[in-house]
Amino acid sequence: MQIYKAPLRDMRFVLYELFDSRTVAALPGGEELTPELIDSILEEAAKFTEKVLLPLNASGDEEGCHYENGVVRTPKGFKDAYVAFREGGWTAMACDPAYGGQGLPEIVNKLVEEMICATNLSFGLYPGLSHGAYLALRHHASDELKQKFLPKLVDGTWSGTMCLTEAHCGTDLGLLRTKAVPQADGSYRVTGSKIFISAGEHDLTENIVHLVLARLPDAPAGVKGISLFVVPKFLPTPDGGVGARNGVLCTAIEHKMGIKASATCQLSFEGATGWMVGRPNKGLQAMFTMMNSERLSVGLQGLGLAEVAYQSAVAYAKERLQGRSLNGAKRPDLPADPIIVHPDVRRMLMTMRAYAEGCRALAGWVAQALDIAERATDPSAKETAEDFTALMTPIVKALFTELGFEATNLCMQAYGGHGYIRDHGIEQLVRDARIAMIYEGTNGIQALDLVGRKLPAHAGRYLRRFFHPVSEFIASRKANPALAALVEPLSKAFGALQLATVHIAQSAERDREEAGAAAAEYLRLFGLVALGYMWARSAEVAAEKLPAADGDAGFYQSKLITARFFMERILPQSFALLTSIKSGKASMMALPEAAF
Amino acid sequence: MEGIRKVAVIGAGVMGAGIAAQIANAGIPVLLLDIVPEGAKERNIVATRAIERMRKTEPAPLMSEDAAKLITPGNIEDDLRQVAECDWIIEAIIERLDAKQELYRRLEAVRKRGSAVSSNTSTIPLRALVNGLPETFRRDFLITHFFNPPRYMRLLEIVAGPETAPDIVAAISRFGDIALGKTIVECKDTPGFIANRLGVYWMQVAVLEAIEGGLTVEEADAVMGSPVGIPRTGIFGLIDLVGLDLMPHVNASMARLLPAKDAFHAANRELPLLTKMIAEGYTGRKGKGGFYRLDQSGGKRRKLAIDLITGDYRPEQKPELPELESVKDLRALLSAESKIGRYAWRVLGQTLAYAASLVPEAADDIVRIDEAMRLGYNWKWGPFELLDKIGPDWVADRLAAEGLPVPAMLELARGRKFYRVQNGVPQYLGLDGQYHDIVRPEGVLLLSDIKLRTQPLAKNGSAALWDIGDGVACFEFTSKMNALDGDIIALLEKSIAIVREGFKALVIYNEGENFSVGANLGIALFAANIAAWSEIEKQLVAGQRTYLALKYAPFPVVAAPSGMALGGGCEILLHSAAVQAHAETYAGLVECGVGLVPAWGGCKEMLLRWQNSPALSHGPMPAPIKAFEMISTAQVSRSAAQAKEMLILRPADRITMNRARLLADAKARALELAQNYLPPQPAVLTLPGASGKLALMMAAQNAHKLGKATAHDLVVAEGLANVLSGGECDLVDECDEQSILDLERMNFMRLLRTQPTLARIEHTLETGKPLRN
Repeated sequence: MQIYKAPLRDMRFVLYELFDSRTVAALPGGEELTPELIDSILEEAAKFTEKVLLPLNASGDEEGCHYENGVVRTPKGFKDAYVAFREGGWTAMACDPAYGGQGLPEIVNKLVEEMICATNLSFGLYPGLSHGAYLALRHHASDELKQKFLPKLVDGTWSGTMCLTEAHCGTDLGLLRTKAVPQADGSYRVTGSKIFISAGEHDLTENIVHLVLARLPDAPAGVKGISLFVVPKFLPTPDGGVGARNGVLCTAIEHKMGIKASATCQLSFEGATGWMVGRPNKGLQAMFTMMNSERLSVGLQGLGLAEVAYQSAVAYAKERLQGRSLNGAKRPDLPADPIIVHPDVRRMLMTMRAYAEGCRALAGWVAQALDIAERATDPSAKETAEDFTALMTPIVKALFTELGFEATNLCMQAYGGHGYIRDHGIEQLVRDARIAMIYEGTNGIQALDLVGRKLPAHAGRYLRRFFHPVSEFIASRKANPALAALVEPLSKAFGALQLATVHIAQSAERDREEAGAAAAEYLRLFGLVALGYMWARSAEVAAEKLPAADGDAGFYQSKLITARFFMERILPQSFALLTSIKSGKASMMALPEAAF
Repeated sequence: MEGIRKVAVIGAGVMGAGIAAQIANAGIPVLLLDIVPEGAKERNIVATRAIERMRKTEPAPLMSEDAAKLITPGNIEDDLRQVAECDWIIEAIIERLDAKQELYRRLEAVRKRGSAVSSNTSTIPLRALVNGLPETFRRDFLITHFFNPPRYMRLLEIVAGPETAPDIVAAISRFGDIALGKTIVECKDTPGFIANRLGVYWMQVAVLEAIEGGLTVEEADAVMGSPVGIPRTGIFGLIDLVGLDLMPHVNASMARLLPAKDAFHAANRELPLLTKMIAEGYTGRKGKGGFYRLDQSGGKRRKLAIDLITGDYRPEQKPELPELESVKDLRALLSAESKIGRYAWRVLGQTLAYAASLVPEAADDIVRIDEAMRLGYNWKWGPFELLDKIGPDWVADRLAAEGLPVPAMLELARGRKFYRVQNGVPQYLGLDGQYHDIVRPEGVLLLSDIKLRTQPLAKNGSAALWDIGDGVACFEFTSKMNALDGDIIALLEKSIAIVREGFKALVIYNEGENFSVGANLGIALFAANIAAWSEIEKQLVAGQRTYLALKYAPFPVVAAPSGMALGGGCEILLHSAAVQAHAETYAGLVECGVGLVPAWGGCKEMLLRWQNSPALSHGPMPAPIKAFEMISTAQVSRSAAQAKEMLILRPADRITMNRARLLADAKARALELAQNYLPPQPAVLTLPGASGKLALMMAAQNAHKLGKATAHDLVVAEGLANVLSGGECDLVDECDEQSILDLERMNFMRLLRTQPTLARIEHTLETGKPLRN
């Protein structure tokens, strides 16, 4: 069974104890952000996701989307759930009050996203894509376009898409062919075919706002010749309603491994009317400004799935009776012990738990930086936060989705054969988790982004935003005996990360393929150290609070134990990663192509 | 003739005054004469003003204030008699034959017998200049053609007439070489001599082809600049610099003097745009602007460039030339099927062919032509070196294929190159079709020659150690911009051991544009960004240890800098037993500029220099104050002479005027010191401690209040004051060197951890400019 209770206690820990929610509340626009408000939002979100979205998850997967004559129907119950979602104000939560949004910060928004992804990833993609379109328009569109589209996207009566991929170009957008021809009235006629468009066509909203990458007639070749356009399914009327049908048609939907309730569409634009967003030939930059937030959101999909996998596995491990504890029966009253007594099952459960809580803490750190980058007025604080989010975005996206996939697999392993058959809904989690490692820039691309762009930027300035706080933390806690058992392994792993960083910086100067060869392992090493830092900080907080914790003592004790587990059983992977990084590209690239 | 002890320069225009300045820079008294303007009360005003102007000119024609004092202004009405005391009289007046000859006649009446007379003419043949003058004049007369600015341009073209006495030519050549630091290129008495003959042709062709090929000025400059080893001003930027009005003038004189069959005539077409621009006052940087100009109207500064077709100014555009990004070698650029590729070929093809046609008409061999273009036009490669890069056969074939004449010299090189190295000796292709050794003048020793014939004694990615003969080793930086890194320190440490075992002395020298720009900031910043503090500290300590070992080595270390010697590069000079500096040495401890303090012993050595300076009053305070003034403001010397004033060089340290003689001079100095060499005694310092720090900080705080120092300047100043005051040391204590080194290290590490310092380093790395934060 897919089991999920929103981990509200841990979310509060991240928000109020590990980080200080007042940091964000003190920024412009955060005045009303009291803990009471945040708590009530999280509780409402928990209710909605547990009661409305989770029950639709397995059925939506079973039924999938239906395509007929250009029309897409979502699975049973999705439309009602979406209406409730919209009416609950969830689409407006993280949006600008100027367009009807609630202006809540990312640190809150991302927690809600985590709950949505945990309970129904397919559903979450519809509002998720809308939010991406919202961000692109809000940052780059003219006021006129903003007025036309943003209020509708914010209140959720219209939804959005991001149309990048074409049949022959996914990762390499420089190849794209969709054309946009300027018209006398300032609009453009957009013609071309797009594939893999999530939420490209569906029955949840009255209109769909497509953001489309296309080329102007005189555009230079490659990525420098791409512009961004907004192309609605129905042309808006002056009074804000929907008018004539635009020349965009869904020609098919994909049959996929997972996220089956999400409509993945092929779209055909045939002289569709659109308007340019931002400047000519600067479409990719416009897309990339919201990439940090979007990629963090995909990371949260991994986190959400890790959490639901963990909870589902725990429930099963407590009730499934098989074998006896190696040290003698723990429940002689039962025919067998519950499998949670077995070290290997514990290994899996602790791993999932350490992943989920560690990632949640790290997501909180990055989300807070996103808020500071967006809202701070002090330029130096802003730059620091921007650097940090730029650095951590590929790590969060790739690491979280990898760990999320690992966690769903561990969950299936805990279930054994009962996880592999459909009845329990566990294999759905594995299938759903798989896509997150691919879309929004494959994890390979994330790793390249990290080593090729983020690592060398400004002679390592982005790195400073991570390395300095960690280094200062280690230096100032080294003498603390209570933390020694945690700080020592962190310090060693951090040393490995420093060595790997220097190694890549130096070897890449000689040979850029060296950086490419080290990229995936480096990203994972970096991610593990980041989680290690989060665990050390979490443990420090827990250790401080434990003596006066009363009823919460169990929570803090668990934190301390899980922190130790992470430091002792997971973080040491750093050294193996360092070793393979240092071995260089030679064995990877030596085989002649013909030998494959 | 005997040595040159006094010189007269007549004509105090830009060239005359600049030549006088360089003579004064060499420590030789010089008389600078010009006319008395009509009705002038102050009769020396022209020369006086010229000297005053030079005190303010950038780049400075004068190397020091002492040099300025060696120039005596005068006028040709009252002071001409004084030339009787001069061994060399240089005429640098207006380019008019009658005026020059009239002056020569007057000079002939007053100058002493056997003194040399030379003209700085660039357009009038020697045979015309001496025509009708007495034999006594003709035997003492030659042309000495300097390039602008005379201090910085290393070329001196010398033209001797058939009657010029060989000892006059030898004396002036020797003086020009050793005292003035110029490379002498002997030319024939042909129009434009060598550099301008080819340079003027190249400029004319480059302009013509740009217009005919439909290039913009930005495009032409982007191609005819760094990609072909020509300064970044390219062609139109260069014309703006020298003045548009000069072109028709020079072209006319060339056209008048060159034989009818010369290729110049075909290229010498009038350019209506140029004529119009000159007529309207757009004569270049000295006028209202030229092909480029700055539009300051409306309170905004806009860079404009002229449209070569319409003649209208429009905003400057950065040209997008994929050819230049993707092209790896010159031949590929010249072969590119685009207007850029065609332009590069049309200009270079014709220019190189023209160069080849100048042997033997204007020069006896190709070496002189290459040298003239490298030193007179700052080309990175001379025309024959360019031909070797492109392939002489390829150029000859393409010329022939396009129906252009192939010069004999180019035919001669068929299947060969113009230069080669035979048994470790560089050779050039002579007119006789044979290769000849390139022979360096006596007293010229080039590391590049030594490297052709020997293997390094030790070497790594950033440095090498060479045996330069007679028991002297030479340590060479080879890193990018000669920035100092861990490899250099490691090899230096190893080299000290090697030299101790098998050599008498060590010279630290290289042939880069700059001796060293200091520590590699990129590596340091990256290490700091990833918080690799212990690693950084380790490097710092290794540097301190190595520099100290350099200072106390049992053999003499002679540093021989040229160009910039900054930060850690300057600290090398400070730790050497002696410095033999090229006159163009720009040394300083610039660490404070990037928010740090010198930490390889720079603070310590400057304290010692000032403490031991007889010019300073006694007591512990004056030395820290002096060092603080210099280091906190990141002062850099504008010449070796100024480095002496700053005590970066000691009074006994010597200066070499000619870059090519630097290594030989340094080696000689090292051997001189090696006789009975004793390393210095360990030094002790008496420093003022906390009260001294307070006094130093008061000055910094005042500067802060006046808005001359930023908040972070104060933080940096405090770090520096910590070091220079001796930290916690007490007035009565004597500090040893190590205690100051420890202070340097601690304060360096502390500053490196501050965000504003990291921001400064990053900004300097990325823009080359300081950040005032």
